[in-house]
Amino acid sequence: MRILAPAGFQARAAARKRIHWTPFLFLAPYLFLFVSLRLGPSLIGLAISFTNWSAVGVPQWVGLANYQALFIDPRFRDALTNTVIFTAMAVPALVGLGLAFALFLNQPHRGRGLGRVAVFTPYVIMPTVVGVLWTWILEKDFGLLNVLLGRQIPWLVSPSWAMLGLVLAAVWSMVGYNTVLFLAGLQDIPTELYEAARIDGANAWRSFWSLTLPLLAPTAFLVLMLTIINTFQVFDLVYVMTSGGPGTSTLTMVQYVYTTAFQFFKFGYGSAVAMVMFVILVIVALIQTRAYRRGLESIY
Amino acid sequence: MQTGNVRWMSLLLIVVLLVAGCAAPVAPPAGETAAQQPAAPEGVVTLEFWGGWTGPDANTMQAIVDRYNAEHPNVRVNLSMQAWSPLFDAFIAASSAGSAPDILAMHPQELAQFVHLGLILPLDEIVANSEVIKPENYLENAWEGNKVDGKLYGVPLDLHMHGLYYNKAAFEKAGVAVPPSTPPVNRNEFMEMAKRLTIDANGKSAAEEGFDANNIVQYAINAHTNHHAFFQWWSLYNQLGGQLISEDGKSCAMDLDKAAQAWQFLQDLVYVHKVAPQGQTDYPRDFLDGRTAMLVDGPWRIPQLEQAAAESGFRWGATQYPNIFGGEFAVWGSGHNFTLPSKADPNKQAAAVAFLEWMAANSAEWAKSGQLPAFKAILESEEFQQMEGRAPFIASMPYEKLFPATPKYNEIFASNAPTPMMVMAQRIMLEAADPAAEVKTACEAISAILATP
Repeated sequence: MRILAPAGFQARAAARKRIHWTPFLFLAPYLFLFVSLRLGPSLIGLAISFTNWSAVGVPQWVGLANYQALFIDPRFRDALTNTVIFTAMAVPALVGLGLAFALFLNQPHRGRGLGRVAVFTPYVIMPTVVGVLWTWILEKDFGLLNVLLGRQIPWLVSPSWAMLGLVLAAVWSMVGYNTVLFLAGLQDIPTELYEAARIDGANAWRSFWSLTLPLLAPTAFLVLMLTIINTFQVFDLVYVMTSGGPGTSTLTMVQYVYTTAFQFFKFGYGSAVAMVMFVILVIVALIQTRAYRRGLESIY
Repeated sequence: MQTGNVRWMSLLLIVVLLVAGCAAPVAPPAGETAAQQPAAPEGVVTLEFWGGWTGPDANTMQAIVDRYNAEHPNVRVNLSMQAWSPLFDAFIAASSAGSAPDILAMHPQELAQFVHLGLILPLDEIVANSEVIKPENYLENAWEGNKVDGKLYGVPLDLHMHGLYYNKAAFEKAGVAVPPSTPPVNRNEFMEMAKRLTIDANGKSAAEEGFDANNIVQYAINAHTNHHAFFQWWSLYNQLGGQLISEDGKSCAMDLDKAAQAWQFLQDLVYVHKVAPQGQTDYPRDFLDGRTAMLVDGPWRIPQLEQAAAESGFRWGATQYPNIFGGEFAVWGSGHNFTLPSKADPNKQAAAVAFLEWMAANSAEWAKSGQLPAFKAILESEEFQQMEGRAPFIASMPYEKLFPATPKYNEIFASNAPTPMMVMAQRIMLEAADPAAEVKTACEAISAILATP
């Protein structure tokens, strides 16, 4: 029987037995941080969402009570609706502008370096600073934007304008990140392809549609996914600029998590809101991944 | 063997990382002004003292604490300050970890929720033998405001309430006599002032024929769109004799008609009489720039006005908040107090009480921040009574109405969250929503909050 065993079998079995520890050594710092700061707290959060914990004292198991309460909570509905609206407004702008800036900054022209820095700089500014800055820019009477527009739009003090004001600030501060990702994607496309297309007689528009866009699809997918996840989790800007107001017009999901947990001391309920958000994002990611696979099949 | 060494080294590294991670000392709250304190020498009691002052009053408090430390070599008080909301987050976390500060400052209306969580000690026994911290030494409503279910939980430091500041130059220009510092002006007097101090681009006032309401260059008074809007509503609602929460604390007991009536007055100033701007955000700036002739604000504004007077000759005065509804005067108010957290070191309690006693007797310094000392000896001192602009606020002290003590304080009143009070205030003042409908919605929301255990 031993003779009949395939030649590589023994060697493979031996390789399987011998665990290479060295890679884990390099992964250890990250894994330690990931488990202690991400995975662990997330699992604890899941457990807390089934309790009525108030940060002090012993948590009591309440089963699905927090989740049941969510369904009839008008504030939760406001937060969910507002978050979806914010995402729906910000994502097209962030992806579209990100791509536009990247295409522009990928061209060899003077000022390209300065342009890249200018687009990316807002992203490295702390969100709280961005919030304060934009609170001034959007000020009704003396704000920069209203002065430029020559109007007195009540950006942050009107329930109908406040969301747009937040979207402006968010797009300004986050578009640089998408631009950099798109730039990296663009630079991955071999220039030979464009040369070949030119020889075949394709104009700039044609090579954009038939070369750039299809080859940029994986990057675009990544950018879209990251942008949806990031905008869905918007918090710092909202907290600094409007605190969810006026009224509940800019209350978002993460802010509602913060409010219920840290301001109202209902950590169980706040964790339940966070868990619902997690499930929504997982579903969005799954749908996107499926659509992406199907899209790739149609391209290649 | 080579791989064996690496294996052990990696394990060792992980262990080191784990130990380092776990052994990291719990950091105190990232104080904005808390300087890195050197380690205390042997025999010195160290008291951790947390407060939420972040304006100029933070420097005042730090100076007072520094003086205490200089006078008391056996005690070192470490003052940590950051904004109230994150301060309370840090307090909850520290209490949960069993390392609460020895002294925590807060506002009386916030007491009930921390008492409810079991984080604040009742003080009746702790200060029973104190010669300083006893009811007769304090203003009565300040002392009573620090009780929850009949027990004392806070030592009052100061009170503050709304008053009415005015720009003397604007009054002179409009030919309107400035109001006396007391008593409060009534509704007719107030409306007369408001109309005559609202001026259009042609120099006509709202009291004149041909006034152009679309080109107003000076409004008579500010219109709050933040939490101070419902603070003002609380003054007016109490002038009508209103109640907010039922005796058992389980439901909303708002008199909807009176509640709506109080809001209607504030809303009409903006949308009907046009004597206050819509969608205002920076009230003190607009007042100092002459865009509004009057400003409803607390005594904490006094230092800034004094500075403007010294630097640019801004001339200001103050009177009590108006008594619009003619009944017994009432005005929104609050204050600061000191509490002893339950999850602190009990061995330091005596030192903490001694510090609070010293604080009470030395709160004159604190009064410079504009706050009104709750300790009678300081309050009644000639020095304090003569301080500029304080008279109307001192006169308002007995009439100040605190928000009701409820464990659900934040859920109903928090200013940076979509609470029923904030939503009601902003719907009415920014969207011109119908006050009758809004107070009903708010009352239902408050009842729902109070009904959940």
